[in-house]
Amino acid sequence: MAKSDVAVRIRDVSHQFGEPGDARFVQALQRTSLDIRRGELICLIGPSGCGKSTLLNIIGGLLAPTTGTIEVDAKPVRGPLPHDIAFVFQENALFPWCTVKENVMLGMRFQGVSRTEQEKRARDALAAVGLNDFMAHHPAQLSGGMRQRAALARALSLQTDILLMDEPFGALDEQTRIVLGEDLSVLLARAAKTIVFVTHSLGEAVFLADRVAVFSARPGMVKASIDIDEPHPRKPSFVTTEKFSDLRNKLYGLLHDEIRKSVESAAVTELNA
Amino acid sequence: MSAPRKQHEKLLSRGLQFSFLLALLLVWYLATARWGVSRILLPAPATVWRELDDVLRSGEFLPHLRVTLIELASAFAIACTFGLGSGYLISRTRYAMAVFEPLLASIYSVPMILLLPLYVLFFGLGSGSKIALGATVSFFPIVLSTIAGFGSVERIFVTSARSMGASNAQMFRYVLLPAALPVVVTGLRMGFTIALLAILGSETIASFAGLGHKIAQLAEAMETARMFAYIAFAVAIVAILNIITTALERRVKLQ
Amino acid sequence: MKENSQRNAVVWRMLIGRVGVARLAAVVAALLFWEVAARYRVDPQFLSPPSRIVLAMPSLFETPGVPAALWTAFWEFGVAFVIAVAIGLPVGLAIGLSQSRQSFMPIVLLLYGMPQIVILPLLVLWLGIGPLSKITFGASHGVFPISIAVVAGVQNIQPILMVAAQSMGARRWQIFRWVIFPHMIPSFFAGMRLGMAGVLLGVLLAELYVSAAGIGYFTLMFTQSFDPSRLLGLIAVLAVMAIALNVALRRAELHFARWRTD
Repeated sequence: MAKSDVAVRIRDVSHQFGEPGDARFVQALQRTSLDIRRGELICLIGPSGCGKSTLLNIIGGLLAPTTGTIEVDAKPVRGPLPHDIAFVFQENALFPWCTVKENVMLGMRFQGVSRTEQEKRARDALAAVGLNDFMAHHPAQLSGGMRQRAALARALSLQTDILLMDEPFGALDEQTRIVLGEDLSVLLARAAKTIVFVTHSLGEAVFLADRVAVFSARPGMVKASIDIDEPHPRKPSFVTTEKFSDLRNKLYGLLHDEIRKSVESAAVTELNA
Repeated sequence: MSAPRKQHEKLLSRGLQFSFLLALLLVWYLATARWGVSRILLPAPATVWRELDDVLRSGEFLPHLRVTLIELASAFAIACTFGLGSGYLISRTRYAMAVFEPLLASIYSVPMILLLPLYVLFFGLGSGSKIALGATVSFFPIVLSTIAGFGSVERIFVTSARSMGASNAQMFRYVLLPAALPVVVTGLRMGFTIALLAILGSETIASFAGLGHKIAQLAEAMETARMFAYIAFAVAIVAILNIITTALERRVKLQ
Repeated sequence: MKENSQRNAVVWRMLIGRVGVARLAAVVAALLFWEVAARYRVDPQFLSPPSRIVLAMPSLFETPGVPAALWTAFWEFGVAFVIAVAIGLPVGLAIGLSQSRQSFMPIVLLLYGMPQIVILPLLVLWLGIGPLSKITFGASHGVFPISIAVVAGVQNIQPILMVAAQSMGARRWQIFRWVIFPHMIPSFFAGMRLGMAGVLLGVLLAELYVSAAGIGYFTLMFTQSFDPSRLLGLIAVLAVMAIALNVALRRAELHFARWRTD
């Protein structure tokens, strides 16, 4: 069966935590729909609490939506799909008792890859992210940027078509983010994957993405999307172009009101609490 | 976690502990009444209850309890004096702390019960040896927590007090003492508990008075029902003292 | 002249500055004090100086039955410790992993808080004066710290690690084998160190209580015959054993907790 153009089909997905009337009730996502094209890098951006991470977890099968359906390669998603989808999380999700190489291989073991293949893929993935010299190190011995490179290597070694990244650079400083962003762009140009990338950073979204989906404040839904027509791998100089500034400003315009709304509603809930 | 949730959890765990004890009591009853376990080894609950009642009514327990409590009080008093005193002195310089604290911690890792025969040799089988052992054992948690408590008062508090002209006595009373108190009080409670256990242990092994001794004596005489009664009594005393000291500790900490 | 005293001051500061040296000096000073006090002040019936204790060691080991008693205590400890781990580890895992762990922890904590010493005479009554009562009493002291530490090690794993494993397709037994179990190991070793101390205490208490044979017999004998040299020698041997075990377990604990950042 020929693979369709749409890698992930999100239809009328909404999600709530708790029951209406609960003290803890949260409507994280309103009915939202989105088609993610094969091979595109789409960024999900929006104010805090708008549900973008929730949507990511739903796509990846870690969370079942309250309403709506997700289809990955025309298959409905009912749980984790380790052969189709790989995650890169924001916090340190590397196993601290394993070395970097062991971490990468353990992921493949869960997936069911053979031992010899594990070795080969681990070496390739770690070389691709520039960590050849650190294979025998433990995560505690590495900087934040290097840990995220290792997490990326682990995800890449699983050789899935789809990569879900939940603010992977969120805990890093600005300079590390820039470097990692540029490296990521190069890597992904080679790899031809479908990537869903959640971020807070406007610059990061414009630099990396083919398309940016802007979320409204909670309860979130996709409010607008911007196409970024620039070939991969993105050159570092792209950031200094007028095109970049225009796109970034456009994004800012769409986002600013939503950010205000979410900060104000958070303040109101605090006052009422 | 919210306050009502915590209370609910506490009630639940208390309830579980209670049900467990009831279940144990039931098994005990069945073992003696139905399953034919020897009455000498495991007397029936009813018999034990009768013996306990007799012990309490007749006041037979009084001299033994008195001995144990006096030994405990004396041992704890000695341990506090030496522990608080030397702990405070050691905490005054970082150098002294670096030298002595690990030394004391490693000595503490040896089971102090080993010193009992030596103390018995020195002080005889009477209360003296029990007090000595109780004091020795209790000394360590007190001195270590005193060092920790006074030694880790944030430099910034001391500096700002000094810059406002605090004398040494004022520094102690208003800065060091309140800062160190929570840790020291915990150490005191631990010292108290461990002194009690050491004293009961040494009474059991080598003594002619006290609760521990009474239990050992009854075991030797094969008066198991009465022994069970005394065991229950001793457990109750330990539990009561634990509750009191924990409550006191919490009281002080909340100040 | 000035140069000399300056150099002396530097050397002095260097020597005392090294904390380890100062500690050693403190220990040596204490031993010297003991030596002098025992030799010239205290009645030799009650206390021996360290020198005499060391000299009495050969005669201690030549006393018939002493080496056997020491050996018995040692292997009783070994068996009791193995039992404590064999029970403590699975129980801890079962409680830590179970959905209804809240039902069992209060019970474990209740039993842990019990003063086990008051049961010693009863246990000896039931199990006799042989190794069985010593091993049982020792094991029952060690089981609790081990279980409690294992429960903690299983329960305080960061949720993100479980989520990551699930996202990569790990099944339940894989998560246990490759995520939960390795995470729990440092806590397990910490628990074993406390458990070891407990087992040792339990075995020693039982041994000292039973004065008909074993270590208890010899401590009684040396006490009654006012022989502090051999008594202290015996105590010293046991103390050294305790220290050695503690150091070994501490090393093991540090080794297995290498990857911890907290």
